[in-house]
Amino acid sequence: MEFIKKNITLVFGISIPILMILFVAGSIYLPGLFIRPHFNFLYVSNNDSYYYNHNNGYEYAVQSNRLVRSEMRQPENQNYNPPQVELKLYVYDVVENKAKEISFADAQNLNLDSNVISPDDFEIVYGSRGDSSFPFFWGGRTDYNTRYLKGHNVSKKLNLQLNGSSHYNNFRFIGWIK
Amino acid sequence: MATKEEALQYIKTLAEQKVISKEELDAAFNSGNRIKTDIVLTKKLGIAEILYYIGGAIVFLGISILLWQNWSMFGFGTKVLATLGSGIAAYFVGLLFSRDENTEAAGSAFHLIFGLVTPIGLWVVFDNAGFDASSYGSQSLISGIMLGACLLSLFVFRKNIFTLFSILFSTWLFFSLTSWMIGRGSYFYDWKFYQYRILVAAIAYILLGHAFSKNERAPLQGFLYGFGIFGFLGTAFMLGYKNIFWELIYPGLVFGTLFLSVHIKSKAFLTWGTLFLMAYILKITSRYFSSGLGWPLALVIAGLSMIGIGYMFLSLKKKYLSV
Repeated sequence: MEFIKKNITLVFGISIPILMILFVAGSIYLPGLFIRPHFNFLYVSNNDSYYYNHNNGYEYAVQSNRLVRSEMRQPENQNYNPPQVELKLYVYDVVENKAKEISFADAQNLNLDSNVISPDDFEIVYGSRGDSSFPFFWGGRTDYNTRYLKGHNVSKKLNLQLNGSSHYNNFRFIGWIK
Repeated sequence: MATKEEALQYIKTLAEQKVISKEELDAAFNSGNRIKTDIVLTKKLGIAEILYYIGGAIVFLGISILLWQNWSMFGFGTKVLATLGSGIAAYFVGLLFSRDENTEAAGSAFHLIFGLVTPIGLWVVFDNAGFDASSYGSQSLISGIMLGACLLSLFVFRKNIFTLFSILFSTWLFFSLTSWMIGRGSYFYDWKFYQYRILVAAIAYILLGHAFSKNERAPLQGFLYGFGIFGFLGTAFMLGYKNIFWELIYPGLVFGTLFLSVHIKSKAFLTWGTLFLMAYILKITSRYFSSGLGWPLALVIAGLSMIGIGYMFLSLKKKYLSV
């Protein structure tokens, strides 16, 4: 007690950053205890992002709350023969925090909402990470390998199952399951 | 030999005459009582000491460039030896030199090498262990390890260089830890959050500077006040662009800084307070008066204000801060 009285400015100087760390920790972790997302979502993953737009395959969309599939045909080109791309559909369970593959026939029975923001105000965003120029000039940048479910001051890392090695762009959100 | 009562009576008389202060009395008591006080740079840095530190910084640069140029050629062992090995070796050489009063400053230069090179060594170890060594989590661990080592060394050896490194590593830990926590999602993740963290770190620096002003760590005061007030006013200035609260209180903060500069006798407060007052006048002139008065007249008013502020700076410095 005597030490604190004698060194009150030192104690304040050390306490202020510690209090801010506690405040940040509290504001990040506490809301997660009370607010949870409720709506699962459907997504599609292909084994290569480039070929997704340049192949002869299928394109998925939501029309009148149902999943529809249309065929994509590239113009014939003798010099370019894109490989056959395998697309897989997944349902993400937000309570279990895991993805499960689903067939197109089963997915057609789902009641979907293609809005980016879910009915309970959550959205899927990229994560962020430190910059690589250690330890100087470090700052934040987008981490394309991680995605989070974000809303109401809560963010939850998604354990997405992706079809292929690249994480960058082989995830396409289709809709929230109502 | 005077009796205890005579000595106390004599101290009483000296205190009444304001010849001796409580701090001086405490220091004398601690010295007689063999209480360990910090080994500090109480004298001003001479040419030799400055060269020692420049040498330490050049050694650090050399090791960094060596590693950068030969990153793919060096094996893990060589990399660790060149960085972590050099850092630890520098630490013990510093300790050996610190034992002798004549080589004490050189010892601090070796501790400077330790503080700069060892984090790179830890980075190499983390990188080889398969961690993303540049991630905020790894940076928090590296800065935490370095902070622990410096605090322990400060506690045992009471050297001011460890106080400096403890402050620097705790600043790094503060930023990397908070970034790691918010890295889970993107809330807070914008420049505003960075600015508020700089503001908090700056306030902590100012308070530490004030706490150290009357003890053996007083040589760190200038550094802490300088970076603290620059960070505080700079961040408050930037926040004022987007937030009306900061815009409104900013003049109060600048004049408060100028007032404090006299009170705590700090040239850093006076200099940065003056510079940020000038910046504020230029800002409000360009934002609010350039369209109404027109640019030429606004510039004349801003220029005259600058001259007035410059005069105030010199007067305050001459009257209150000149030795």
